[in-house]
Amino acid sequence: MREFVYVQPAEVDQAVAAVTADPAASYLAGGTTQLDLMKDGVLEPERLIDITRLPLGGITGGGDTLRVGALVTMEELAADPAVTERAPFLREALLAGASVQLRNMATIGGNLLQRTRCRYFRDPTVPACNKRRPGTGCAAVTGAARMHAILGASERCIATHASDMAVPLVALDAVVHLLGHDGGRTVPLTEFYLTPGDRPDVENVLAHGELITAVEIPLLPAGTRSTYLKVRDRVSYEFALASAAVALRLEDGVIGAARVALGGVGTIPWRADAAEEILLGAPAGQESFAAAAEAAVRDPFTVPGTAFKVELAKRTLVRALRIAAGGAS
Amino acid sequence: MTLVEQAKVIGAGMDRVDGPLKVTGTAHYPNDVSFPNLAHAALVRSTIAAGRISRLDTRAARAAPGVLAVITHENAPTLEQGGESLLSTPPPPLQDDRILHYGQYLAVVVAGTPEQATAAARQITAEYEPADPVMDIHDPRAEWINDPWGMDNRRGDAQAALAAAEVTVEATYTTAENTNNPLGLFATVAVWEGDTLTVHDSTQWPTSLRSSLSRIFGIPESAVRVLAPFVGGGFGAGLRLWPHVTLTALAARTVLRPVKLVLTRPEMFTGIGHRPATTQQVKLGATRDGRLVALDHESVSTLQMEGNNLEACASGSATAYACPDVSTRDRQVRLNIPWVNSMRAPGEAQGNFALESAMDELSYALGIDPLELRLRNYAENHPQLGLPWSSKALRECFEVGAERFGWSRRTPLPGSMRDGDWLVGYGLAGISFFWYQAPCQARATLRKDGTALVRSAVTDIGTGTYTVMTQLSAELLGLDPEYVTFDLGDTDMPPGAQAGGSGLTAALGSAVHAACRNLVGAFLDTVADDPTSPLAGCAVGDVTVAGGRIHRSGTPERGESFTGILAAHGLAELTADGASAPPEPEEVGMAPAGSFGARFVEVRIDPELGLLRVARVVSVIDGGRILNEKTATSQIIGGTVGGIGMAMFEETVTDAGTGRIANATFGDYLIPVNADVPDLEVIFVGTPDRYNPIGVKGVGEIGLVGMAAAIANAVHHATGRRIRSLPITIDELL
Repeated sequence: MREFVYVQPAEVDQAVAAVTADPAASYLAGGTTQLDLMKDGVLEPERLIDITRLPLGGITGGGDTLRVGALVTMEELAADPAVTERAPFLREALLAGASVQLRNMATIGGNLLQRTRCRYFRDPTVPACNKRRPGTGCAAVTGAARMHAILGASERCIATHASDMAVPLVALDAVVHLLGHDGGRTVPLTEFYLTPGDRPDVENVLAHGELITAVEIPLLPAGTRSTYLKVRDRVSYEFALASAAVALRLEDGVIGAARVALGGVGTIPWRADAAEEILLGAPAGQESFAAAAEAAVRDPFTVPGTAFKVELAKRTLVRALRIAAGGAS
Repeated sequence: MTLVEQAKVIGAGMDRVDGPLKVTGTAHYPNDVSFPNLAHAALVRSTIAAGRISRLDTRAARAAPGVLAVITHENAPTLEQGGESLLSTPPPPLQDDRILHYGQYLAVVVAGTPEQATAAARQITAEYEPADPVMDIHDPRAEWINDPWGMDNRRGDAQAALAAAEVTVEATYTTAENTNNPLGLFATVAVWEGDTLTVHDSTQWPTSLRSSLSRIFGIPESAVRVLAPFVGGGFGAGLRLWPHVTLTALAARTVLRPVKLVLTRPEMFTGIGHRPATTQQVKLGATRDGRLVALDHESVSTLQMEGNNLEACASGSATAYACPDVSTRDRQVRLNIPWVNSMRAPGEAQGNFALESAMDELSYALGIDPLELRLRNYAENHPQLGLPWSSKALRECFEVGAERFGWSRRTPLPGSMRDGDWLVGYGLAGISFFWYQAPCQARATLRKDGTALVRSAVTDIGTGTYTVMTQLSAELLGLDPEYVTFDLGDTDMPPGAQAGGSGLTAALGSAVHAACRNLVGAFLDTVADDPTSPLAGCAVGDVTVAGGRIHRSGTPERGESFTGILAAHGLAELTADGASAPPEPEEVGMAPAGSFGARFVEVRIDPELGLLRVARVVSVIDGGRILNEKTATSQIIGGTVGGIGMAMFEETVTDAGTGRIANATFGDYLIPVNADVPDLEVIFVGTPDRYNPIGVKGVGEIGLVGMAAAIANAVHHATGRRIRSLPITIDELL
C-alpha cells in the first residue's frame, strides 16, 4: 500500500507543530473517516499524527455550559447525564448517527470534520470532483444524487455534510476551540463551516495544522423541549435523507425560544435562522410550523435526484416542531 | 427398502452440523486458505462502459514494491472459451482491447502482499477510445432477443379473450437492478503443481467450475480440482466461472506460486453478476364474477453484451392460475452493463411482483377480495401440461395463512385502517415457484466401526445442505446421525448439481437415496450366498434398515448389523455410488411441482414523511417434505428479508455516461437491517412431493418471492396508491 509515516507525539504542541510543518501531514483520531478514505485512495497523507494519546478528553463544566474535549467519543458524550437532561436532542443525534461500534471509536472533534458520503468524492476513479480535485467539476450534479444537498449547494458541489451530531450543535450555538501554531482561538460552530462556493475543497475555517481541542456546548434552559428527527430509508444504519434538530420553549402556547437546524439537506449543518425568526413569538401550531419550514428551505438548489428533498425537509421540520411542542411523538 | 416408519431424524430441527465450526471460526472459507509462499492479486477495472483500450501504462506498477507480474491483454496468453450452457461462462478475460462494460478487467497485478498488489494496481493508467455506450432499453441501437430460451407460453388466444373479457386490467411494472451481495467477499486461491490446477473458490457449483477451467486452460478435467467446503453465501452469484477466477489461475501459472484474490465490495457489484432490471406488461381479463379468461404477460429484462442469462420472468405466469387463454413472452435487451446473472429466485422474483400486483388490481376492479380471487382461479392441474401436480397445497397455504394472519379483519377500502398517525395496509401474494432439478451423483461408504461417510461435489452456501444430508443419510442407512458424516465441496467426490434453482435438495437427496439404497444392496450382495445370514437371498425391496442393522421387513429379529457383515466377511468398508436424474412428466403422468406459498403482509405508512415499515409477515409454504424444520425456516426467513430488500431498498444505480455503479458499497446500496425486519412467522403445509423418492421440494428461493407484491399491495391498501415500480421508497410515498 501507499506508505506513510506514523507519529504519536506526547504533547499537544508537538502534534500541532508536526502537522503545521508538513503540508502532507494529517491528524488521526478515531480514524473512522480518515482510514476509510485512505484505503480507498481518496486521502493520501504522507504523515499521520496520532492524537489519541493526547490529553484532549473529558467532559467538564457545570451550570449552563459543557466543555467537551475533542477526543471524547460519541458514546461518552451520548452517555453524559447533562446531555441527557439538558440537550436530549444532541443525545438523540449521537445515537442515530452511528452504530455503537463506531460511537466507541469516533471522536467529537473528528465527527465535526467527517467528510461527505458523496460517492463521487469517495471514488478516485471519478475524474470530476471539485472537492477532491479542485477545478474538475462535479459529477454528482448529473449523477445519482439522491443523498445530496439542496441547501448551500450549487452546480459546483452538492455534497451533503453527513454529521448528525453537528446539527443540534449548530442549533445550540456550540463553540469550537482551536489550537494552532500561533496560539488558540475560538470559533462559533455556525461560522466554522464554509459552504462550497467556488472552493468546495475548503470545508471549514481551519488553517492547516490547526487542531480542534474542545467543543463548548451551551445547554438548553430549563423548560425547553428538544428533538432530533432523522428521516431515512431504512430504520437504522443510514445517513439522513433529511433531519431536523429543534428546541422550543413555550409560554402559554406561544414560542418563547426556538432553535432550529437541518441535516441531510445541507452542504454544511444548516442553522435555520429564518425559521427561528418566524417561530419566535408565534403560537405553537401547524401554521407557524409550516411557515417556519418554508423559510428554512428557501431557495434550494435541486437536481432531479434531490428534488423530493425540498418537500421532505419541510415536512421533517414541521414534524420535529410538532414533537418538540408536544403535539406528536 | 423402506424408510423407517417413525422418522426420528428427518424433519426434526436438528442443529447445523457445521455450526460449531462456523461459530468458532474453524470453518475454512476460500479466503482463509493460505500457503507459505502465497502471492496476492489485485484487479484493474475499466472506468468506461464501451470502447477500446488505446493505451495501458503499467510501467509504474511493474516497478512498484513487491510486484511479481502485471498481466494485461497485451501479454496474456490465449485462453479457450469456458463453454456454453444455460448459464454460460463469460468469455475469458484479457483477450482483446474491447470494453463492453464498466468494471471489465484491464489487468491483474500480482505481488507479495495484498497491499502491494492494490497499490500497484492503482498506478496503472488506462487511455481509451470510448464509444457511446448502450445503457437504456429504449436506445434504438440496442439488440433485442425474443424468447431466449424457448420458454414462451401460448395457450388459446389471449388477445381475442382480452378483447371479449367483461373486465380487464392492464399495467406496466418495473423492477430495479439488484446486486446479490453475499456477505463473504468472493475469493479464489489457485495453485499449480505442474499441469495440475487446484482452485479454492466461492463457487456454488464446483463440478461446473472444474469443467470450465479445464476448457479454458486446455487441460483434462482430471487435472483440475475445485475445493469449496464453505462459501460465504452466494444467492446465485457463484453459479458461473467468473473472469476473476480465471485470472487468479492465470496469475498463479505466471508467477509459479499460489495466488489469492479477494474481490473488493465494489468489485462484487461488477464482477459476479446481478439481477437484471425488468419492464413488464401484464393484461388480465376476467368475468364479472372473477374467473380469469385471459392472461398476457410480457417481460423485457436487461442483459450484458455477450453471453446469456436464464431469467424467465413472464413464463411462470402461465402456470400460476387456471386460465384458458394465455400468452407469456420473455425478451432481453443487450446493454453495456456488467454481467447479469441469477440472483435468488431469478425471474420469478420479478415476474411474481408483476402478476400478483396485477391480480390485486383486478380484485379492486371486480370488487372481490384478493384472496377469494386467487382461490376462484386455483389451478388444480398443471395448466400448461394438463397433468396433475406432483404435489400442491397452495389452497392450504392461502387458508392457513389467512387464518393465522387475521385476513378477515381487513376492511377493503384503501386508507380505511389506521393505528394512530400510521396508515395500516394488508396485502397478500400467492407463489407458484418453478420446478428445477439437475442430474447429481453421490457416494456412500459404511465402515467397520459402524460410521458412514456420504459425499458429493456439491456446496452448502449456508442453506443447511451438510445438515439435512446428514439427517437423510442417517435415516436411509438406519443410523444415528452421530455416526454419519456428510462431506461436500471437493471435485474429487462424485459430480454434483449446483446449489441453485432451488433444486439441490431434490437432486442431491435423490442421489443420496440411490447411493444409500445401493449400499444396502452391496451389503445384501455380500451375504447373498452366505447360508448362515438371515438376509441371504434378500433384495433391497425386502428389507428395512434401523439401529445400524438390516432386517427383513416385518421381522426385526431376522437381520444383521452392518458391522457384523463387514467383520464376518473381512471387509474394512463397503461403498456404493448413486445417481439421480428427474423423469419426464409424461413418463410418470404428473407435472413436477416447485414449492408453493402465500405471503400475508401488514405495513405501516407515515403519510406525511413517506415512511414505510413492514409490521408483520406470515408466510405459509408448501415445500413438500421438510427435512429440517429449523434450517428450512431459516431459508424462508432469509428469503423474506431479501424480499423486503427488493421491495423497499435495493437498487443498483448506474451512472448513465460511464456505466459506473454509483452505489457499490454497503453504505450506499441498502439492504434491510434488523430494525427493518419484524418478527416473521413461517408455517409449512403440504405433503411429500411425488416426483422424487424423498418427497422434497426446494425452499431456498421461494422465501424471497411474493414479498414485493404483498408489500406493494399492502401499500395500496394503506394509501390507495398503486406503486408499480421497485423499490418503493420515500420519494414515491411523500
